[in-house]
Amino acid sequence: MSRAIHLRADELARIVATLGREPSTVELHAFDAQWSEHCSYKSSRTFLRRLPTLSDRVVVGVGEDAGIVHLGVHEGERYGVVIAHESHNHPSQIVPFEGAATGVGGIVRDVLCMGAQVVALADALRFGDTSDPRGHQRAVARGVVDGISAYGNAIGVPNIAGDAYSHAGFDENCLVNVIALGIVKESEIVRSRAPIGSAGWDLVLVGKATDPSGFGGASFSSVALEGGAEADKGAVQVPDPFLKNVIMRASYRVFAHLRERGVVAGFKDLGAGGIVGCSAELCAAGGYGATIDLDDVNVAIEGMAPEVIAVGETQERLLWVLPPDITADVLQIYNQEFTLPEIAYNARAVVIGVVSDDKRYVLRHGNEIVMDVDIDFLTGSIHEELPYAADVRPTSSAADGFLTDLTDAFDGEPHYVRYDTAVRGRTVVPRGAGHAGVLCPIPGSRLGVALAVAGDPSIDDAFEAGEYAVREAVRQVVAVGATPIALTDCLNFGNPHDPAQLGALVRAVDGLAAAAGEFRLPFISGNVSLYNVDADGRAIPPSPIVACVGVIDDVANVVYPLESA
Amino acid sequence: MSARVAVLIFPGTNSEEETLRILRDVGAQADLVHWSRGDTLPQYDAYVLPGGFAYEDRIRAGAIPAHDRMMDHVIDGASRGKLVLGICNGAQILLEAGLVPGTGPARKPTAAFTHNVQRHFICRHVHVKLTIDPSRSPFTAAHAHDALIPAWAAHGQGRLAADPAELEAIAKGGHIAFVYANADGSTQGATPNGSALGCAALLNREGNVLAIMPHPERDAHNFNHPQRRQGNILAPSGGAAFFRGFADALNAG
Repeated sequence: MSRAIHLRADELARIVATLGREPSTVELHAFDAQWSEHCSYKSSRTFLRRLPTLSDRVVVGVGEDAGIVHLGVHEGERYGVVIAHESHNHPSQIVPFEGAATGVGGIVRDVLCMGAQVVALADALRFGDTSDPRGHQRAVARGVVDGISAYGNAIGVPNIAGDAYSHAGFDENCLVNVIALGIVKESEIVRSRAPIGSAGWDLVLVGKATDPSGFGGASFSSVALEGGAEADKGAVQVPDPFLKNVIMRASYRVFAHLRERGVVAGFKDLGAGGIVGCSAELCAAGGYGATIDLDDVNVAIEGMAPEVIAVGETQERLLWVLPPDITADVLQIYNQEFTLPEIAYNARAVVIGVVSDDKRYVLRHGNEIVMDVDIDFLTGSIHEELPYAADVRPTSSAADGFLTDLTDAFDGEPHYVRYDTAVRGRTVVPRGAGHAGVLCPIPGSRLGVALAVAGDPSIDDAFEAGEYAVREAVRQVVAVGATPIALTDCLNFGNPHDPAQLGALVRAVDGLAAAAGEFRLPFISGNVSLYNVDADGRAIPPSPIVACVGVIDDVANVVYPLESA
Repeated sequence: MSARVAVLIFPGTNSEEETLRILRDVGAQADLVHWSRGDTLPQYDAYVLPGGFAYEDRIRAGAIPAHDRMMDHVIDGASRGKLVLGICNGAQILLEAGLVPGTGPARKPTAAFTHNVQRHFICRHVHVKLTIDPSRSPFTAAHAHDALIPAWAAHGQGRLAADPAELEAIAKGGHIAFVYANADGSTQGATPNGSALGCAALLNREGNVLAIMPHPERDAHNFNHPQRRQGNILAPSGGAAFFRGFADALNAG
């Protein structure tokens, strides 16, 4: 199997100079994934630092798979709301159903791996002109909605908030932003890092058998879609919500077991960059290295090249860092009690390596070492200073023609009637019934959580679009009677190598920061999606999309819109 | 000692927690029983099959789990008069197992809960109306004639379908325990999915097996119910009353 490497010549030269040798094939693919924008935020990180991230209520801020903010106290126990927000734009444009479904799958893992129960979903969708006579945009829209519906419904997580727009500015780049909410006791949070003193602990891979799907996904997401994008279909991942349903429930059982045993473990989702991306970030975050034997990975087909096993993005996988005396219990829960090997072909939990104390990231395959690099060089050292023109106000054609009523594309009904909004039995304000969705997430407690998503692509000034997204998400949460406590964002923009397009992103960040500052609200999680450009290099309308979480001390005080009173 | 209820979890079940919670809230002694612990099922006095997508709805919703080893115990228990309740996917499984309407042999279904007339998943708040004499089943004995139960319909395959002769037998045999209804009890235009005869729930002849498509457990508290959002929002709603009748029958039996 071969695929294009997207590393630039200067990045490659830096790798050769640092290693003091040519990188191996596995190393080349590992750096290609890890140094992609998707994993490294290399061109956007500087600007993201302008966002406010702190408040008295923040329990876990930006930097992990999901953020956590304090919700309230019930029966002496402090509870936190976990939130993660991501895009799955490029994959959804190419294969709408699978692309959108795996977007939901990924965001759910980001919340799950914090030790949380996943309690709600939301989505913000931007489609091309769904009134186009050829029906292509309508097909994309229906595929995306069906993918979100199929995945969220099957795992049993209600979809309670979101928005959708249609406009020709998204004809070549639909946007699929997904948000997941979790609830966790603050004393039981699991971190996405190798714990203190974990040298010598086991790395336990859980989930679907590794296959060649999603090979090259991270760097594919970090370039513009081109005419040959059909050839990149193999870079899109394959969803399995049925397996995920079982993995989620098995993981809840593992959380309970670890609590009983008083064990602090590390847990992280495998997303971009596959085994390498996850294990390297997990161990580097704790100040450790890792040694992994790729021969121990459960695979779907024999004979896969080591780079495919190492960075392929097979879905429905997570990685534990566990003390060796607890490993057998965890393997028993996944493999026997929840029978993972019977749920999907060769799915299981399996030990694939150990945490090391030397900060080396080492992969073995066959009897050879196929990768041996400094873990911090792999995960932390990439940065790109690109010129931007933040003073350029784009002369956009996109001020009119936006559709927010997409019912024509969905048999005359709102698209979200296909989403289960009531599963789990804790929904107070379901999708479409109020300005924000509201849950009463803790049995026996009157505490409520509100969630709203906002962004208006018809605002062609990126600064104003950022301000608006924050203010509107906050307004929607306030409108159901909740107090806003935290924000997340996804910045969906064009090509960062175009100074005007990068400038629009920078202006949007400044708009987000300005509005969040007015409300003294922190951003606790976020994501960047770049290279959303058409064949002529034109960017999508500026699309900063914001989610806002609010708290209601007593759900009896929820405010409903007049028409549903 | 009160009767014990097993809430079955198949791979792909997704509504087990709220189903367990409401059963316990109304006084039933209930446990979750996982597919790898299915051999414990004979000790239980009643079975509840919750919603979800057991075995991924492969072939048809309910078709594969109807052949799961756990269903051997459920089919055996039903034949001995144990109470069996299936909700949504659980209802589909009971139908595929032949326990409702019960007009044919086990695992030879005579009807189907199949694709909605819309051909896609729908999720909306509904009501169901009791259409049989309440005394015909322990599930309904505590309810008034024409009782209305609030619930959430959330399914892609909830439309009752059978050949005309079988539908007539189902109707004449008193197998349609509940039909979809509006909040005022009328039935005009209330069926959300095109289900034959407006059917929302099927009962077997003996009255001990009930298969209901919408989810009463999702209307457990006033806060779940679109028209009852004031006052004590944690107080039980109409969905809880549905389960209370079941629990009382069980604990009395």
